[in-house]
Amino acid sequence: MIKRPPPRPTTLPEEMPPPRSRYNRPRRPFSLRAFLVGVALGIGAGLGYAWVLNPVVEYSTEPWQLRQEDRDHYMVAVALAFAGDGNLERAVERILSLYPRGAPAHNPFQDFADAACRLATTGYVDSNSGRRAIRSMMTFYQLQGRTGCADALIPDIAAQPTVVVQIELPTPTLPPPATKTPTPPGAAAASPTPPRIIVPTSVPQRDFVLANVSTFCSEDISGVIEVFVQDFGRVGIPGQAVRVRWDGGQDTFYTGLKPERGPGYADFQMEAGREYIIEMPGRSDPSAQALGAVPCTTETGARAIISYRAVFLPRG
Amino acid sequence: MMRFMLSLLIGLVVGVGIGLYAGWVQFPVEYVNSPMTDLSQRFKDEYTVMIAAGYMADGDLMGAVERLRRIGVSNIPAYVQDSAERYITTSRDINDIRALVTLAEGLDRLTPIMEPYRLVNAPGAGQ
Repeated sequence: MIKRPPPRPTTLPEEMPPPRSRYNRPRRPFSLRAFLVGVALGIGAGLGYAWVLNPVVEYSTEPWQLRQEDRDHYMVAVALAFAGDGNLERAVERILSLYPRGAPAHNPFQDFADAACRLATTGYVDSNSGRRAIRSMMTFYQLQGRTGCADALIPDIAAQPTVVVQIELPTPTLPPPATKTPTPPGAAAASPTPPRIIVPTSVPQRDFVLANVSTFCSEDISGVIEVFVQDFGRVGIPGQAVRVRWDGGQDTFYTGLKPERGPGYADFQMEAGREYIIEMPGRSDPSAQALGAVPCTTETGARAIISYRAVFLPRG
Repeated sequence: MMRFMLSLLIGLVVGVGIGLYAGWVQFPVEYVNSPMTDLSQRFKDEYTVMIAAGYMADGDLMGAVERLRRIGVSNIPAYVQDSAERYITTSRDINDIRALVTLAEGLDRLTPIMEPYRLVNAPGAGQ
């Protein structure tokens, strides 16, 4: 006799799938809600660490990140470079580096004028160098049709009255050709009173230019302005007058009087603490930069007065 | 509870990673009001070239030196010499090189590599 298992009932009430509810849902391996909370907390912690506790060390500061004072001095450099190369496109590129990327520069040239104004109201204009730099800035923004308070604070050189100096030029009188009539003695001598000629300083005809001024510090040659006057072939020209002016005086000397230094050489001994302007009278403009007889230290550590080496070359 | 804590921990790790990436790489702190001494080398070079070009125009050596002090260089003649030689050896813009060489010459820092770029033959220079 075979025992058979009792037939399985098709459905049992106790094995029917229970209705789905939050209590009998299968559990996921992790909690999405906890994960999202963790991400949010982690982002906050990460940003706090990266921005506050341990921010990126800045190694690549750009001009737009500079403080106002240094931005102004950067603009000075842009203006000086423009005065040197006249390259407006490059100057504009340099100015735009003073503005953040993506932030439009609303009025960069007016910002330039405002920077010149700020500098003109500070001690920056106490030196010739500073005034010259601000004039370069003024030229730059005035060319773009902008104005600023520096226009009133720094007088324009061109607007200044022309200073007229009187120069007494000796006029050698050539002896007259021989005649049959004997000339009375003394008639062939130079005129006793040379005529006074008034020469304005703004004579446009200048055939020499102060091409280079360099400095050096030497114990043996202390406080000396060495002048070289050369022609197009860099050959020294003797007999050229060079004038040095300082506050309250002037002196004129000539090249070629020290032939061991070359035919175009001349020098002048400065007094410590004075500033000097050098020129070839009537043949060059005065030096734009005053040559100051300031102390310096030689390579051996000795104290001396700084010396200058100036080169005059034919214009063009 | 264990499941909750594990999920929270994984979320924290992922979140910290995202936060550090954003804070250091994508949106790093950008400093403003920086002094000129902090300028990147690229812009220090640019500034030096501008000052040298200005020196070519006005011959104001003292002014050029004073302006270069702003970028925090202690030995300005050596710095200008180094910049000029670097520009020459890396074949940079010829006008920039000439400006730097002129300034280097003004500072008595003319070296043989700069000779071809001199604009003015100053006799006796370097004595």
